[in-house]
Parts: sequence; structure tokens; C-alpha cells
Amino acid sequence: MEMKFKIDFTESNVQDSVAYILVSEFDLKPNVLKAEISGDGTGIMIVSLTGEQDKLLKAEQRLKEAGFVVSELGRRIMKNEDLCFSCGACVSICPTNSIKHDPETWEVILDTSTCIACGACVNSCSRHALSLDI
Amino acid sequence: MSKTYEQINERIRSGKAVVYTAEEVIDLVRKKGVEKAAEEVDVVTTGTFGAMCSSGAFVNFGHSTPPIRMAEIRLNGVEAYGGLAAVDTYIGATSLTEDPKGGYGGAHVIEDLIAGKRIHLHAWGPGTDCYVRKDIDTYITLDDINDAYLYNPRNCYQNYAVATNTSDKTIYTYMGKLLPKMKNATFSSAGQLSPLLNDPHLATIGMGTKIFLGGGEGYVTWPGTQYKTNVEEVNGVPVAGCRTLALIGDMKQMRAEYVRGLDITGYGISLAIGVGVPIPILNEEIMERCAITDDQIFADMVDYSQNTDRPAMARYSYAQLRSGKIDYQGRTIRTSSMSSYSGARRIANELKDWIENKEFELNKPVMTFPKDVKLKKLEERRC
Repeated sequence: MEMKFKIDFTESNVQDSVAYILVSEFDLKPNVLKAEISGDGTGIMIVSLTGEQDKLLKAEQRLKEAGFVVSELGRRIMKNEDLCFSCGACVSICPTNSIKHDPETWEVILDTSTCIACGACVNSCSRHALSLDI
Repeated sequence: MSKTYEQINERIRSGKAVVYTAEEVIDLVRKKGVEKAAEEVDVVTTGTFGAMCSSGAFVNFGHSTPPIRMAEIRLNGVEAYGGLAAVDTYIGATSLTEDPKGGYGGAHVIEDLIAGKRIHLHAWGPGTDCYVRKDIDTYITLDDINDAYLYNPRNCYQNYAVATNTSDKTIYTYMGKLLPKMKNATFSSAGQLSPLLNDPHLATIGMGTKIFLGGGEGYVTWPGTQYKTNVEEVNGVPVAGCRTLALIGDMKQMRAEYVRGLDITGYGISLAIGVGVPIPILNEEIMERCAITDDQIFADMVDYSQNTDRPAMARYSYAQLRSGKIDYQGRTIRTSSMSSYSGARRIANELKDWIENKEFELNKPVMTFPKDVKLKKLEERRC
């Protein structure tokens, strides 16, 4: 199964390799969707993890015990295809490049596997075709 | 090589017309050259499907019993003009309800009418000897009313600026959501598919040109508002907003898929309307211009966080803009279109089908449009 997590780093653990822990200890396949370290030494990582359910839950616990703030991303962006007319205004707003033009048809497509449901696209859509489902 | 409108129409009527979209014809001209392509092709179809605020609809409701001279009119709560004859009105695309943040406006009324929905009509009049009634509260549909025709004072902008934002905060503009510190840029032209970039000096487009408008047949009626000609050209096409068209079309023929009300965050209401213009290939020069490609069409990027003067910061081709990212002084800026390229392509293909199926012939303009026009500024005077 696949789960998405937001992991907050503090100044003290920002150097730790979370991906290594996830792979070596829990045999999970991480896909880092976004990673950012800010000027004050803290950082965030949005990661999609694929693996066995019990290992996913154990990994979440392991990271929490190691001092990371871990929260599962339960939200998702919904795209109403009847309302969208593929103008593309949302495309450059998406921080994870999850909204793209299909290179053949130029229709706007949403890749829910990489979307982190940040909601930035919602008010860029003049058709109200994008909404945040919590 | 030269052809006449009549020869082309004769070929359409006999089912022999050769029609290409402005995208398809690029390859043909590349392979066969302008001369041979001009001989072979009768019509090139273009398309565009973007926001244009200067849109609206004339409506005649029919007379009620007893009759009313409507002076104040609301359609689904949106204000329509009450300064025409008793039951005539014009509803502008950007007109709002009493709640300006409601996200619903004239453009949505137009879309809902075309979609066949019931629209709440509430109107008030002064009450006169011949129009005794003072108010009416009812529901209408497009089928119920006598006349409903779109009349857009400005459409089909010939190119437009690329918008970015150098400030520290997100700004919300008619060019969409512009992220701080130039994290994105937006543009609004169908480029190589756009009508006025394929016939840049309006050799074939003028008053009376029959077009695809919102899924039905329409006509070019006049130069659009803010029409101008004095813009720098590269490869024979302007690099900024230039010529425009005023358009008319019967809403009863239209389809809601090509007429979309827009609620642009922080800006207001606008209307996206699908327009397709056929270009008759009368000679080689017209053919050559129709073969223009996105890498030959340029637009200047300007800073929308500046309220008054917006000098050009850089110039990009539509091939660059459509690639999803552009480079500005060593940094990457992501790009978005405000105009639907897939929609523009669908329109050009549909218009092509109409012509191939003998359902649509071409009109020679009854009046050509001006060659030398500059825009005036609004002066503020005391008296």
C-alpha cells in the first residue's frame, strides 16, 4: 500500500537520513515529493511510501520516537472534469508538478500519486474545478 | 497561384475542399513548400479558447400580460442593462450580483442560458400608461425567449503579454495567480493556432467573415475595441496585444462546452469563449503566414506587480512558453497558459469538419479593417 507523510525536521535532526531508515529498517520504497530546508535550519519533507501496511505504521512510530514530527496526508485534491476546460492556469502553481498538460492532447491532467494536497491550485482555477477534499 | 472565394466555396459545395487546421498545415508546408501547399489547400482553420471580459449578450424576453417597461433587471441576481427598449437588455460578462464575492456573474448567466438551465428574471419598471406593470418575477430558458445573441465588443486578441510578479507577495490578476519572486509566469494566446496570428494583417478577415463562435455560426462585425496596429512585429506577427475583433452569434446555436463563465480569484468574472476562424488560401502569401509555428511567435514578459509602467523584461517564443518553463537571467520560471490549447485545437478541428461536410462556406468581408490605428489614453480633465 501507499501512504503519504509530511515529516518536520528540527535543527537537531535535519542532518539525519530519514530515507535510509525507511529503506534499511522497514523495506519501504520512498518517493520524495518535496524537500525543503529553511534558513533557520528546520525543514520539511513530503514523502510517498510504498510497502507493507504494518511496516508503514512501524516506520511512522520509529520516526516519531526519533524526534520527527510525522503526519499522514489524508487530504486530496479533486478535479471536476466537467468544469475544467484545460486552460492550464493551475499548472505553474503546483509545487510538485502534479498538474500537467498531456503532451499529446494538451488536456490538463492531475497526477494524484504525487499531489501533496497543499491546496495552492484551488484558487488558481477560475472554473472552481479543483477542490480540497479533507 | 490565386483562388477566389467563389472557387473555394464551389469546392466546399462539391465536397472536394482541402481543409487543414493551422497546426496540421505546418507539416504540409514544410514537406511540400509554400507554392505547392497553396495550390493544394483551400482553407486553413484556426481556433482560440480563452478569457475575454469584453463579452456579453443581447436578450429580448418577450412581452408579459400586462406588459412592463423594464428599467432595472436582474438575471439570477446579476444586473443586466435597463436602458434599452421595454423587454430588451444587454448582460455583460463581468456584471455581478449584489454579493461581489459570490463568484457568479453575467458570464455564468450566459453559460447557464446556453446550457438550457432556468434563469430567474426579476425586473422593475416605472409603470406608464402603455406599460402599466411595475415588476415581474419569473423564470426563463433560452427556448422561451425571442432573441439571445452574443455580442462581444472584443475577442481574439492578436497576441498578449506574458505576466509575472517580481514582488514579495502573491498577486491575483486577470492573468491568473502570480506567485511571488517570479516563481511563475502566465500567457494567453493559442499561438500557432490563434486566428489573428495566422492572418496577421487581416488579408481575409473583416466585417462579415463567418466564423465558429461558441459551437455555432457567428460573424465578425467590426474591429474589436482597443484594436491597434502600431506594434513591433517579428516574423510578420506582433509581439504584444494588437488587433482585436468584435463578434456576434446566435446563442441558440451554441453549446455550453465552448462558453464558460470564469471566476478569476481576486479579479472578478470573465467569459471564455471558443472562436474558430477559417482562412481561405487565396494566394501563396496567405499560405505562408498560416504555416507560422510557435517558435516564430514571440511575446514580451512584463511585471504585473507594477501598477503603472510595465516595461518589457524579456521576450519568449510560444514554443518556450508552452514547454512549461522559461529562463530569466539564469533562473527558471514555470509557465501556465490562461487559454485552452486543447480547446483551440478541438475548435479548429470541428470547423474543419463543418467545411469538409459542406455545412459551412466562407464569406468575403464586406469591409476590411483599418491599417493604421494607435490607442488613445484617457486624460483626466477638470472641465
